[in-house]
Amino acid sequence: MQAHHLLASYLLVWLIQGGYAAWIVWQWRRTGKELQPDPADLSPRDEGS
Amino acid sequence: MVKRSCVFGVVGMVWVVMTLAAIAYATRLALFVAPTENTMLDVQRIFYYHVPTSMLSLLFPYVNFVSSLFYLGWCRRDPLRALTADAVAIAAAEVTVVYSSISLLTGMLWGRAAWGVWWAWDARLTSMLLLWVLYVSYLILRKLSSTGQTQTLAAVLSVFAALDVPIVYISIRLVKYGVYTQHPQPVFGGDSNSGIAPAMMHAFGWNVLGWAMWGISLLLFRYGLERRRQQSEQASALKAIEGSLEIVQ
Repeated sequence: MQAHHLLASYLLVWLIQGGYAAWIVWQWRRTGKELQPDPADLSPRDEGS
Repeated sequence: MVKRSCVFGVVGMVWVVMTLAAIAYATRLALFVAPTENTMLDVQRIFYYHVPTSMLSLLFPYVNFVSSLFYLGWCRRDPLRALTADAVAIAAAEVTVVYSSISLLTGMLWGRAAWGVWWAWDARLTSMLLLWVLYVSYLILRKLSSTGQTQTLAAVLSVFAALDVPIVYISIRLVKYGVYTQHPQPVFGGDSNSGIAPAMMHAFGWNVLGWAMWGISLLLFRYGLERRRQQSEQASALKAIEGSLEIVQ
């Protein structure tokens, strides 16, 4: 039982810490896409006649 | 001239590498090098994760508390600077929840092995659970509230949540005053019988360092993420305003 508790404890730590870090990375990349300029905004505007 | 962002990027990478190396070394010490405790045998090695994590879970709330105070002070006078403080506050709150969750769960596993029970409603465990509930409440408020006062309400909540930290700290030091606790007496800063063997202290010290560096890394990256989100929202708002101006023209 003791070995199971020790193993479960370390796995829990890595699961929670690693899971949170992975979530930050995922959200970072998602937010990065939103900050990229829209290609439609980069094309020159037609000022009209 | 090297750009500031490049310097920060390199420093950040070095810090992350150092953090992972410290954690790897600390884990090796905890699992394979530190001596086996006489009474609890190998399950006592949970100590090398549980105690550093618990200690750090009492420090990050104060980062949230101080940054929330700055937010409340700046929100009317300098809203842009207040956003910076708000980003630190939410990052610290999330890291607090992560560390207090690990503290509770590893404590339950250790308690089950050592005492035969998963939980006891004693002073330390109950006050620690309360700390976890308070900061989860903070995050739920931030997530679900849609008023313009969300950040202010959260900052006020954090001031009260931080009041639980000294209660958690002192909860195992009141036995002589009749306050019941199942939790072991303090290993550090306790009475004349407290303290650990020097060989264990080496492993413990490295685990405190490693998990502190990891927590700081999480805090900084989460802060950066929040700042990116704020910039994204500002850019969207600006685009909406420009779009409405074009329609008017």
